[in-house]
Amino acid sequence: MTLRLVVAALVAFMTLPTVVVIAVSFNPTAILSFPPAGFSLRWYANVLGYPQFQRAALNSLVVTAAAVAVALPIGTLAALALERGRLRGRNLWAALLLSPLVVPGVAAGLGFLILAAALGLLRSRSVLIAAHVALVLPFVVRSVWVSVRNLDPALERAAASLGATPWRVFRRVTLPLLRPGLFTGLLFAVVVSVNEFVVSLFISNRVTEILPVAMFTYVVNYTDPSIAALSTLFIGATFLVVWLADRYLGLGRVFLQH
Amino acid sequence: MKLLLAPAVVVLAVFAAALTALFRWSLLEFIPGSLQTGGLTLANFRGVLAPQYLDAIRDTVVLSALTTGLTLVLSYPVAYALASTPSRRVRSALLVLTLAPFFTGAIVRTYAWVLVLGNTVVTWPLPMLFTERGVLVGLVHFSMPTMILILAAALSHIDPVYARAATSLGARPSRVFWRVTLPLSMPGIVSGCLIVFAWTLSAFPTPELLGGGKVKMIANVVKDLGLDSFNWPGAAAFAMLALVLTLTLLVGLGRLTGGRAA
Amino acid sequence: MTMRSRLIVAILATLLTLPSLAPAAWAQNALVVSVWGGNWKNTVESVIGKAFTAKTGVPVEFEVGGTIDRLAKARVAKGSPLVDLNFTTTHVARLYISDGLYEKLDLAKIPNAKEIAREAIRSDYHLGTWAYVYTVVYRPDLVKEEITKWSDLWKPSLKGKIAMPDFDPSHIITIAALMEGGNEVNWQKGEARLKQLKDSIAAFYSTDAQSQDLMKTGQAPVQVMLSVNAYHLQEQGIAVKLVQPTDYPGIVGIDTIGVMAGTKKSDAAHQFINVALSKEVQTELVKALRAGPVNLGASVPAGLRGQPGIFTTTAEWKERGYIMNDEARAKTLAAWREWFTATIVKK
Repeated sequence: MTLRLVVAALVAFMTLPTVVVIAVSFNPTAILSFPPAGFSLRWYANVLGYPQFQRAALNSLVVTAAAVAVALPIGTLAALALERGRLRGRNLWAALLLSPLVVPGVAAGLGFLILAAALGLLRSRSVLIAAHVALVLPFVVRSVWVSVRNLDPALERAAASLGATPWRVFRRVTLPLLRPGLFTGLLFAVVVSVNEFVVSLFISNRVTEILPVAMFTYVVNYTDPSIAALSTLFIGATFLVVWLADRYLGLGRVFLQH
Repeated sequence: MKLLLAPAVVVLAVFAAALTALFRWSLLEFIPGSLQTGGLTLANFRGVLAPQYLDAIRDTVVLSALTTGLTLVLSYPVAYALASTPSRRVRSALLVLTLAPFFTGAIVRTYAWVLVLGNTVVTWPLPMLFTERGVLVGLVHFSMPTMILILAAALSHIDPVYARAATSLGARPSRVFWRVTLPLSMPGIVSGCLIVFAWTLSAFPTPELLGGGKVKMIANVVKDLGLDSFNWPGAAAFAMLALVLTLTLLVGLGRLTGGRAA
Repeated sequence: MTMRSRLIVAILATLLTLPSLAPAAWAQNALVVSVWGGNWKNTVESVIGKAFTAKTGVPVEFEVGGTIDRLAKARVAKGSPLVDLNFTTTHVARLYISDGLYEKLDLAKIPNAKEIAREAIRSDYHLGTWAYVYTVVYRPDLVKEEITKWSDLWKPSLKGKIAMPDFDPSHIITIAALMEGGNEVNWQKGEARLKQLKDSIAAFYSTDAQSQDLMKTGQAPVQVMLSVNAYHLQEQGIAVKLVQPTDYPGIVGIDTIGVMAGTKKSDAAHQFINVALSKEVQTELVKALRAGPVNLGASVPAGLRGQPGIFTTTAEWKERGYIMNDEARAKTLAAWREWFTATIVKK
C-alpha cells in the first residue's frame, strides 16, 4: 500500500545519516569519506581506550540518571496541574514551562556559570544536574500532558468510589494510563540529557565533564572518524536496550493503540 | 492541584536565576578590548536593534516555522505506522530506527549531512550545502524523531473503536483518517509542533555547520557576539531581546491552540 | 509491569542516582593547566608536562576547552582560580590582563626567557610559547593555477572556491587594509577591497576541524588557513601548498602562557613555563605541533625550515610574518566582526 511505501521512504530519509555515520566509522584513514575506502576497527579501539571518553561516559551516566529521576516526577505533576488545575493564565504557564527550550545554549551556559560562581558551586555537579533538569523538563511536561489529556477522570473516580485511597488510585489507575506519555517523556529526558553539550560546556570541568562535551572537544579538534565510531556504539547500545525493554518490560505495547 | 506545579516552578526559578545573572550584563557598557564593563547603559539594546540582528531573529522564526510544518507532515505517517502496526517486530524496528538518529548526537548527525549535502555522496541539482535549504533539511531531520514519538504517544491513546464505527457506517479509509483520527490526535500535534518550534528557535550546531557561516540563527548570533567578539553585554542584550520576542510568540501560539486541544 | 521488573527498575534507578550525591573528587597536589583540547592538549601533556613532572615530581592536570569558555570560567573564578596556568592567544591574553586574572611574571624564575625572540615577550604578564601564520593555503590538484600572493585571492578564477574563518576576520581585514596603505588600526581603508572579495567566498569555517574538512573534501580548496592545520593535512597525505605571499607577509599568531593571579603554586607554574621555553622542549614542540618555536636555539626538522610560520632567526621573525598590535586587535575585534558579518558574510 502507499502508506507502507511512504513510511519506508521517510524512514530511509531518517536513517540516511545514520548509515553514513556507521559506514564512515570503518574508514581506515582519517578522512570522512563515503563510501569508506576500506574496513578498519582502529577508530573503535581509539574511542574505547580514550581515557577522557571513559571518565566522561561515567559522568554522563550519573548526571543523566539524576536529571531524569528528578525531572520525570516533577514533569508529571506539572502536566497534571496544567490539565486539571483550572489555573488562571494556563497558557502563560505552559509557555513558561516550554521556555528553557527557546533560550540559546550559549546564553544559558554563561548564565549558569555566573550563577554557579556566585553560589560557590564551581566544583560540584549540582549546577550541571540542575541545568539538565531545566532543559529536559519541557519535554517531559509536554509528553506526559498528551497522555493526561486523554485520561478519563471517570476511571479514577470509579476506583476512588470503590474505596481506593488517592495514592492507590494514582499508582494503580492514573500512572498506568499515562504510560505512553511517561515513556516518551523518559525517552526524551535521556536523549536530550545525553546529547546536551552547549550549556554543559560552560558548567563542567575536567572532573565533572560529560560525554557530549568530551565528544564536542574532540570533534572541533580532530577530523578523524572516531566520533562516528562512538556514535555507532551508541546506536548499537540503543538497539540492545530497546530490544531488551521490549522483551522484558513490554515496551512494545506502550505505543499500541488500546 | 496548583501545588503540583510548585516543583516545576522551582526548576523554572533556578533557570530564571541563571538568566538574570546574564541579564545584568546586558545593562553594562561594553568596553572593547577588555573584560571590564562600564556603567549602566541601554546602548547594548540599541545596538542589537540593528538590521543584521533583527534579520537573524526574523530568519530564525521563519526557518523554525517551516521546519515545524515540514516535520509534522513527514513524521505523521511514521508515527501512525508505529502506533497502529500489529507486528511487534515492525514496531521495535521502527522504534530503533526513530531513536537511532537521536543517539548519533547533534554534531555527528550534522557532519553526516555535510557529507551528504556536499555532493560527496550524491550530486544535487541545486546547491544544498551552506544554504538555507540545506539547513532546513538538517533541522527537519533533527526534529523528526521528537515529533514521531509525541505523535505516536497521542495516536496510541485513540480507541480503535471510533475508527471501526466510522468504517462500519460506510466511511472510506481516507475519510476516517481526516474526520476521526486526525482530529483525535490534535493534542499530540499541538504538543509536537510547539516543542519542535521552540527547540528549533534555539538550534545551534545545524545552522553553524550546514550554514557555513552564511545562515545565522539566533543561537549563532549569540555565539558570535559572546564567544568571538567577547561582547558579553551585546550577547546578553541580544539573547534577552530574542527571548522576549520568541516567548511572546509562544504564548500567542499557545493561546491560539490551547482551546482546541482540550 | 510485573513486580520483579518494577523492583529491577527501582534498584537500577537508586544505584544510578546515588553517585550523583557524592561530591566530585579533586586531586590536590597537581599543577593544573588550561589549554585547547585535542592535539594541543595531548602535545602539551606529552612534551611539556612529561618533562616538567620528570624534573619536579609534580603531576600535571588539564582543563580543556575553547578560547572563550575557558576565559569565561577564569573570569567567574577570579580570586580563587581553578587552574594555575593558562594557554591562550596573545590578544585574548589582553582580556585576561585587563580583568586582573594574570599574575605579573617573575622573569628571574624563567631563565630560559632570555633565549626566546624579542617578539615572543608579549607583556609583563604573558610569554609566547609557539607561533604560526594565517596564510593562503590551497590544493594544487584542484586549483590548476599557481597562487603566490594575497592579491591572487581576488582573481575571478577563484570565485566560489575560498574559505576563511568567520570567528576571527582579523587576518583578511588586515591584509586588505595593508593593500590600501593602511593597517589594522585604520582598517576601514580596506573596506572597498574586501567587498570585492565577497562573491568568491564559498564558506566560512568556525573550527580547525571544519577548515580541514573543507580542504579534504575539496569544497573549499583555497583557504586563509592556520599553518599548523595545513601541515597536519600534509601529514595525512593531502597535498596542500602553503604560500609565502610575495606582496604581504602571512599574519602571525602567537600562542602564549600566563600564570593565574591568586594561584597557590606560583613557583611551580613559573618552573613549568621555564621548561616550556627550553631548547629541548621547544624542539619537541615544533615536531609535534608543526608550529614555529619561540626559542631561537631550538632545532627545526629539515622539511620545515624556511616554511611559512616557522621562524628560527631574529631576521625571520621581523620579515616573514606580520605581527598585529595585540591591544588594537583586542579592542577592534568586536567592530571587525560586526562589520564583517553584516557586509561580507551576510548574503
